[in-house]
Amino acid sequence: MKEKKMTVSKGGKLSAGKKREGNVFFSEDPRDFGYAKENIPCQDACPAHTNIPGYIRSIYEKHYGRAYEMNRMVNILPGVLGRICSRPCELSCRHGESDLGTSVNICHLKRSCADLKPSWHMIKEEFYAPSGKTVGIIGAGPAGLAAAHELAILGHNVTLYEAMDKPGGMLMYGIPAFRLPRDILNLEINNILRMGIDLKTGVNVGRDITLTELIDVHDAVLSTVGCQEPFNLDLPGEDLDGVYSGLDFVIRVNQGERIPVGKKVAVIGGGYTAIDCARLAIRLGAEEVSVNLRKTETFMRIDEHEKHEAKTEKIKINGLVAPFQINGTDGKVTSITFERTRLEFTKDGKGRNAVSIPDSAFAAPVDTVILAVGQTPDTGFTGGKIELNGKRIKTKAGSYETGIKRFYAAGDCVTGATNVITAIAEGRHAAHEIDAVFVGKKRITETIRTETASQTDRSRNDDFIKASVMPTLEVTKRLYALTGEVEQGYDDKIAGEESKRCYLCNLRYFIDTSQCIYCSACIDVAPRDCIKITRAVEIKKDGAYGELLSATDWSEGLAIVIDNKRCIRCGKCYEVCPMHCIHIEKVELIEQKLEA
Amino acid sequence: MPKFDHYIIIGNGPAGNSAAEVLRMHDDQARVSIISDEGFPYYYRHMLCEFISGKKKEDALKVKPASDYKEKNIRMRLGQRVERIEPETKTLYLKHMEKVKFTRLILATGASPHVVPSLSRFEKHFSFMSKYSDALKVKPLLSPARKVAILGGDLVSLKFAKMLSAMKKEVTFFLYKDCFYPFELTADMASAIEKHFSGKKIKTFADIFPSRIESKGKAFEIETENGENLTVDIIFCFMGMRPNINFIQGSGIDTERGVLVDEHLKTNVSDIYACGDCAQIYNPELKNYWISVGWENAGIQGETAALNLLGESKVIKPSQKKILDVEGLKVNTSWWKEL
Ligand SMILES: Cc1cc2nc3c(=O)[nH]c(=O)nc-3n(C[C@H](O)[C@H](O)[C@H](O)COP(=O)(O)OP(=O)(O)OC[C@H]3O[C@@H](n4cnc5c(N)ncnc54)[C@H](O)[C@@H]3O)c2cc1C
Ligand SMILES: Cc1cc2nc3c(=O)[nH]c(=O)nc-3n(C[C@H](O)[C@H](O)[C@H](O)COP(=O)(O)OP(=O)(O)OC[C@H]3O[C@@H](n4cnc5c(N)ncnc54)[C@H](O)[C@@H]3O)c2cc1C
Ligand code: SF4
Ligand code: SF4
Ligand code: SF4
Repeated sequence: MKEKKMTVSKGGKLSAGKKREGNVFFSEDPRDFGYAKENIPCQDACPAHTNIPGYIRSIYEKHYGRAYEMNRMVNILPGVLGRICSRPCELSCRHGESDLGTSVNICHLKRSCADLKPSWHMIKEEFYAPSGKTVGIIGAGPAGLAAAHELAILGHNVTLYEAMDKPGGMLMYGIPAFRLPRDILNLEINNILRMGIDLKTGVNVGRDITLTELIDVHDAVLSTVGCQEPFNLDLPGEDLDGVYSGLDFVIRVNQGERIPVGKKVAVIGGGYTAIDCARLAIRLGAEEVSVNLRKTETFMRIDEHEKHEAKTEKIKINGLVAPFQINGTDGKVTSITFERTRLEFTKDGKGRNAVSIPDSAFAAPVDTVILAVGQTPDTGFTGGKIELNGKRIKTKAGSYETGIKRFYAAGDCVTGATNVITAIAEGRHAAHEIDAVFVGKKRITETIRTETASQTDRSRNDDFIKASVMPTLEVTKRLYALTGEVEQGYDDKIAGEESKRCYLCNLRYFIDTSQCIYCSACIDVAPRDCIKITRAVEIKKDGAYGELLSATDWSEGLAIVIDNKRCIRCGKCYEVCPMHCIHIEKVELIEQKLEA
Repeated sequence: MPKFDHYIIIGNGPAGNSAAEVLRMHDDQARVSIISDEGFPYYYRHMLCEFISGKKKEDALKVKPASDYKEKNIRMRLGQRVERIEPETKTLYLKHMEKVKFTRLILATGASPHVVPSLSRFEKHFSFMSKYSDALKVKPLLSPARKVAILGGDLVSLKFAKMLSAMKKEVTFFLYKDCFYPFELTADMASAIEKHFSGKKIKTFADIFPSRIESKGKAFEIETENGENLTVDIIFCFMGMRPNINFIQGSGIDTERGVLVDEHLKTNVSDIYACGDCAQIYNPELKNYWISVGWENAGIQGETAALNLLGESKVIKPSQKKILDVEGLKVNTSWWKEL
């Protein structure tokens, strides 16, 4: 391992080569990106790189509109995502480290700024001059909508071609209204369409118009067709009455059909679709609903809140069972036979496979079976002219362009079924690539903004506030209607309390080593091992600074240094330092728009 | 030749203690340590009820004197919580930031009270009775209390209700049929309980549940789904137990409802075993998994886990079934013994 002796530096500037504007610095140095990645873990984990501490602080200050706009910079559907996001940020939140309690409810806070902003709130858009270029986007799901918005503000003419009657993709037809009320969804979609985007619904590309025709009339075409084709298990008995594919089931119910489900329903699969099918089945009058997994709950790819709400509605989650066959009489399903499974390490030793146990079959009586084991893209619209990656559309390495010139693809149709925030991020990035081709340069880039900051009014007590529970509708009231929203949202009091929990990891506490007298007063008050007597710092392969190498003996200690990855921004060290040599900066990963 | 083996057992209940004794009996060289987050030494959990009713004194709860551990050279670390296991480096991370290395590990972490998800938002109003610290908290609250509500349905809840009624408390019992782990109460069983309770003047709600619970001064107000309101001094929650496996998640040790082990009580990770209430055990005859419950089973499993850790390959079997008479209900069980 390479290491660098600590040098005594004046000020705590991260690296050379920064651009200075007053008290603010901008940097594109990889080491500064490396710092932000490690130190603002929530923002790094968010596929769209949402400025989480920034918007949480605005919520604390009751600037809900500002918080909403901060989200909207990278995620055009904050009110939607505040309800249904898969929340990878919360898994990485520093507050969730094992000795620090539980993660901040980042997603609930996102929803709260959307709910609590006034209705007259000002939407901010920065437009570029019209370019005269046109882009056709196939599919108005989250990826397509995000790309459309981005291309529109960049000055291009956008036409969205959508096969269904309404835009939104899985947001409109997949996710049930009890999780995502349609007025919220429509409002945020309309805010996108207002940018002068031409939406053509009921146009199925491949059937009503060919891809070649689109490529002829547009300067670029982007496919964001998602994953619309359910996986098939090929179980004996799948064609019986009372057996549904999960995707069909949710789409039909979301279009208003009340599918009769009987008393007992078995759902197969463990993703969002499976849980939504189960929760819809309960609302359609089923008495016993189970979600059946080949592996265990640990391997479910949905967030904990979803699981909790499903269990609250008395949905059973059964692990270690694999469907074997579906049985019926007179063409109607009567039971399903499962085999028990056991877990086995995958070849690389990291994952697990579920292996059926021979002779372990048992049958469970059911009235309805819903098979929700995932979906893949339907690429039929390309007329087979396109190179695939399995069933997904293949794009060039590091690019969104496919094998066909001027034809791009993004979202679930490229990545396979993921989640909404990933689809939004991918849609935007594809738009930026298309724009760069049109203009000859990247106009939207990420940068690190650093600003001198002062001690905040967060108190150490705030670190011990318990996570605020999302108020929910009583179970008995949930089950009458298909649409009553279950999660009721934080009011401003709860949102304020929850916002206090965030450590504000975008603050950077550092010691000006040239002033430090090694009194170690800061170490004495530190709440954890955040300040270290250090002999050197590891240098990573890419030149970024790595771990601080602690001195084991006073004599080899060259500096007292704050380990920002351990720091919880409590400010205690800042308060006690007799030399006032601890300083604070605000470091933010933001997007910058190039100005002429 | 000196041995450097360090066998660690997490959990200081019957499973952990019998494992420690067997390890020491068969290996007088290795270091044997029990780590447990409870601060009180090994005690009879089932006596907690009698402890709070005043029938049993604190000393009677203790299974054995501290000197026993000294004699057997078993290191006891009380009040220390294991937060994370890293099997690759065979390291335990304790809550107070200490790292402890093991060569072989036995998980005997028992189970904790379950709260059905629909009630979890009211959890802060509930009292529990599953460990010594619960009993200490409850004891002073119970004597002045006149009206008590029990949200329950597990075996302990039935016993507990009877005890409270004998203490002349006014008891209201909300019976959750699906909490009679490991199977659900049938309508017949539920009405047998109801009948038995009515003889003891215990008011039972079998199909109507609380929809709102709020604290009102020192008391609690419960609103039921059919709009009835009642005020009680204390609310107990006995909805069965769930294995303590949260801290194991992400370590690579497989869990489902409990720690998944084969019939030898081995987990999927070498040198790590599980036994007692935290284990979910595969039964090759039934080709199914079962979760062990009960004091006696825990002890037997602790023994088996220890022997297998030392190289044997003993197969665990559920103990013999016997008929248990609980509050007017005949239960055929292999997992519980009236203690
Ligand atoms: C039931 C369900 C619940 C889910 N819940 C969540 C959740 O809670 N959180 C989360 O993060 N993710 C969730 N997901 C996943 C998420 O919805 C998807 O990952 C996301 O919508 C993908 O976005 P996309 O824009 O790539 O594709 P989609 O949303 O699938 O949109 C594709 C659009 O393209 C249109 N289209 C397809 N082919 C054509 C064609 N030939 N011509 C014209 N239009 C076409 C479709 O009609 C559709 O509108 C859920 C998915 C399902 C199915
Ligand atoms: C009130 C009551 C009455 C009962 N009555 C009966 C009865 O009549 N008959 C019967 O057969 N059974 C009865 N039981 C059940 C019986 O007590 C249990 O089955 C038995 O104690 C299980 O033993 P165990 O060793 O598996 O776990 P436990 O006795 O639960 O011990 C596990 C220990 O591990 C500790 N621990 C957990 N996680 C960690 C961690 N991460 N780090 C450190 N320590 C940890 C726990 O705090 C606990 O001290 C009763 C239980 C209760 C609560
Ligand atoms: S504490 Fe706040 S800034 Fe830090 S990771 Fe969590 S949400 Fe992000
Ligand atoms: S602000 Fe100072 S004392 Fe507080 S956690 Fe950070 S380094 Fe430690
Ligand atoms: S308190 Fe200030 S002077 Fe003392 S060791 Fe810490 S940084 Fe240096």
